[in-house]
Amino acid sequence: MDTIQLLMDGFSSALTLENLLMAAVGALVGTFVGVLPGLGPTSAIAILLPLTGVLEPTQGIIMLAGIYYGAMYGGSTTAILLNIPGELSSVPTCLDGYPLAKKGKGGPALGISALASFGAGVLGVIGLVFFAPILADQALKFGPPEYFALMLLALTLMVSLSGGSLIKSFLMGAFGYTLALVGLGPSSGMPRFDYGVSQLMGGFDMISIIIGLFAVTEVLKGIEERRAGAVIAKTGSVYPGKEDLKKSAAPMLRGGLVGFFLGLLPGCSAAITAFLAYDLEKKVSRQPEKFGNGAIEGVAAPEAANNATSSAGFIPLFSLGIPSSPPLAILLAGLMIYGLTPGPVLFEQHAPFVWTVIASMFVGNAMLLVLNLPMVWVWVKLTRVPYGIMAPIILMFCTIGAYSVRNSMFDVLVAFLFGGLGYLFHKYKWPVVPLVLCFILGPMLEESFIHTMAMGAGDISIVWSRPISLVLLIAAAALLVISILLNRRTNQRVKEERERGMDVA
Amino acid sequence: MMSFLMAVSVSACGAKDTPATTQGAPTSAQPAPSEPAPEYPTKQIEYIVPYSAGGGVDLVARATADYLSKEWGQPIVVVNKAGGGGAVGAEYALKQAKPDGYTALAVNVSNTTMLTAGMLNSPVKNEDQIYTSRIGKGTLAFAVKADAPWKDFAEFSQWVKAHPEQLTWTSVGPAGFSAFGVAEWLDAIGADFSKTRMIVTKGASDSVPKVAGGHAVLAVHTIGEIMPMLQAGKVKILAVSGQERSPFLPDVPTAEELGIKGLTVFWWTGVSFAKGTPDYVIAKWQESIAKMEQDPAFVKKLTDIQVENDYANSTEFNQDVNRETAYYTELATKKNMRK
Repeated sequence: MDTIQLLMDGFSSALTLENLLMAAVGALVGTFVGVLPGLGPTSAIAILLPLTGVLEPTQGIIMLAGIYYGAMYGGSTTAILLNIPGELSSVPTCLDGYPLAKKGKGGPALGISALASFGAGVLGVIGLVFFAPILADQALKFGPPEYFALMLLALTLMVSLSGGSLIKSFLMGAFGYTLALVGLGPSSGMPRFDYGVSQLMGGFDMISIIIGLFAVTEVLKGIEERRAGAVIAKTGSVYPGKEDLKKSAAPMLRGGLVGFFLGLLPGCSAAITAFLAYDLEKKVSRQPEKFGNGAIEGVAAPEAANNATSSAGFIPLFSLGIPSSPPLAILLAGLMIYGLTPGPVLFEQHAPFVWTVIASMFVGNAMLLVLNLPMVWVWVKLTRVPYGIMAPIILMFCTIGAYSVRNSMFDVLVAFLFGGLGYLFHKYKWPVVPLVLCFILGPMLEESFIHTMAMGAGDISIVWSRPISLVLLIAAAALLVISILLNRRTNQRVKEERERGMDVA
Repeated sequence: MMSFLMAVSVSACGAKDTPATTQGAPTSAQPAPSEPAPEYPTKQIEYIVPYSAGGGVDLVARATADYLSKEWGQPIVVVNKAGGGGAVGAEYALKQAKPDGYTALAVNVSNTTMLTAGMLNSPVKNEDQIYTSRIGKGTLAFAVKADAPWKDFAEFSQWVKAHPEQLTWTSVGPAGFSAFGVAEWLDAIGADFSKTRMIVTKGASDSVPKVAGGHAVLAVHTIGEIMPMLQAGKVKILAVSGQERSPFLPDVPTAEELGIKGLTVFWWTGVSFAKGTPDYVIAKWQESIAKMEQDPAFVKKLTDIQVENDYANSTEFNQDVNRETAYYTELATKKNMRK
C-alpha cells in the first residue's frame, strides 16, 4: 500500500521544527478564536490569509488548517463553561455541557469534549487517507432531490429535539424560517421583505443572530440574576473518570460516524451534524429525560460529530475542489493563491504537499489535546472573574464578532436586538433551537426544492423515484411517527403518575 | 480582532495622517497645472470585495492589494462584504463611504453591466462610479458531464435546438454571467431560451458538481472555476467563447471554430471608485496598475487562478462598460430576463 509510504513521508516532513511550530500556532490561534463568540474559523482564516504571502505553501496551509480545527475545539470550551457557543456547531454542546458545569462537573465535560474531538478528528483524517478518491465520487450522487429529502429528515428530527410543547417549537421554527426569507431569494434573485433598506437586502446573518440569542441573552440573564463571579464552584478534574468514559464511548463513535459521513456532503455543515448526533443520542438513550440536565453523552456525541465533519470536509476539498463550508472555501482560496488547484491531480502533482498537510492534521489534533486540557484552567479562571467585569468583556467580543461577519454595524444591531428577544424567549419558555435550525435549514430546503422542480420540469415525483432520496424520505416519515408515538406515551405516563398522586408538573 | 489591532498599530505608526481631503464638489476637481497633486495615499485604503473570499474577484483583488501596498508603502486591506449578488458591498463603497480615494471597489461583470441589464431598477449604476482600471478577464467555458453523448459543441447545439425543454443549465443568479452566456448562445443557434430550465446556484462550487453528478446538463463558468472538476475527469469542456482559444486550454476549440458565431460574453474584474473621487487618485491607481500588469510575479498569480491579465485604462474601461451595458440590456429585454 503506497498510501502508507506516502503518509510516512508526510510525517517526516510534518515533524520538522517549522511545520510543528505552524501547527502549534494554528491550533492556539484557532482555539482562541473558537473561544471568542462569533469570531469563528471563517473570519480568522480570512484575516490571516495575507500571511500566506510570507509563508511557504505547506506551512501556510498547515497553519490555516490548524486554525480551522482549533476553532472547533475552542468553541466547546466556552459552550460548556459559560453557555456561550463560540460558533454554531457548539450549540448542541451547550445543551448538556452547561448544566454539567453548573453541577460542578465542568472539568470532566471539557475532558470528554476534548477526547471526543480528538478521536473524531483522527477518525476523519484516517478516512481522508483511505477514502478520499472513492467517497468524493459518492458525494456527487447527491443531487437536489436527495438534499431536499435530507433537509426534511433534519427538520423532522428538530421536532423531536425541543422536548417542550410541539406547537411552540413549530411556531419558533416558522419564525426562524421567516427571518431567513429576508434578503435576496435564492432562485429569483429578487429582494424579499427588504422594505427598501439596503442592509436588509443582504439578509440577516446567521452568526449575528446566534451571538444575540446565545451570548447577549446570557449576559442579560446574568445581569438579572446579579450573578456573582465563580459561577462554577468546582470544575473537578479535567481527566474524566471511568464511569464517564464508559458512558461516552458509544456516543463518541456514533457521533463521529454521523459527522464523518454527512460531512462528505457539500453544504452539510458541522452545526447540522452536531445537532443530528445529539438528537440521535437522545433517541437511542434509555433515559432521554437526562438530556438537557447534564448528560455526558449529550456532550460527547455532538463534539465528536462536529470535529469529524470538519475533518471530512477536506475530502471533497482536496479531491474535487468542493468546499463544504465557508472556512473551507477560504482555505480553497489559500490553495489557489499558491497555485495548488485541488483535484486528483493535486494528489499526483503535489503528493508531498498533500501528505504533509494530512500528516500535520494528526499532529495538530494531538497538539490540541495536549494544549487544551492544561489550558482549561485558564478558561476556568476566566469564569471566576466578577460578572461586572466579565459582562462588558463578553459584550465587547460579541460586538467584534458580529461586526467581523460582514464588517457592518447592522449585524451588531441585529445581535443586540436578538439578545433582547432571546431574553424574552427564555423568560417565557419558548425554545430557541428550532428557530436557529429553521433559519439555517429553511433556505436550503427551499433552494433544493426549487432545484428539484427545475430538474423534474415541475414534477415532484422525482423525489421518490430516486433510491437515495426515497430512503431518506422513508426515514423521515418513520421518525415523525415514532416521535409522535413517543410523545403520546410520555404524556400517558405523566398522566398515570399524576393519578397515582405523584407531583409531576 | 487581529485586523482591528493591526489597524490601530498602523494608524499609530502612520507618520503623517493628513485629514481627508474635503472635496465638496461632486464633480472631480481639476487641480491647476501649476500646483502639484496632493500626496496619495497617506493612510490605509479599504478595498471592498462585494463577494465572499475565495472567488475570482476576491483572489484578483488580494493579489492587487498585495502588490500596491508594497508599491505605495501603505496598507491596503481587502474587506469582503458579500450579499445581494454583489450589490450590498458595491452600495457601501459607492454610496456610504466617503469619495476620498480611501475606499476602492472590486468590480466585475456581474455587479455592473449585468446587474444594470438584469434589473429594472438596479441599486448601483454605471453613473455612480468612476471605472478606474480593468485588471483581468476570464473566458467562458461550456461544460457537460464527462461521459455526455455529444462529441462536440456543434452537435450539442443541434440537440439543444431540437430539445430545448431537456436542457437544464446551472447559473449563478438569475442574471449572472452564466445566464447571459446561455442566452447569447441560444440566440446565436436559434434555440428557444424560454423552454430551457435554469437552476440557480450559489456559485461555481455548487454548480459544477451538479453537472458532474448528472443532475443538470450544462454549466457555464470561467475556465478557472471549472478547472478542478475538469482535471478530475468529471466534466468535459465542449467549447470556449471568444475570438481565440484560451491559453489555459489550447486543445479546446472556440464556439466560432465550430460555426457558432457571436459569443462575446466574458468575465472581467477591475477596480472602481465612487463618483466624486479626486482625479489624482484615479490617475495614481491607473498608473500603478498599468505597471503591475507588467510584473512577472503578479502575472504568475493571475495565471495560477486561470485569469488572463487584461489591462484597460479608465477611458477604455468606461467605453467598454457602456457598450456592454447597452448590449446586455438589449439581450435581457429580448429574453425577458429583466425584473
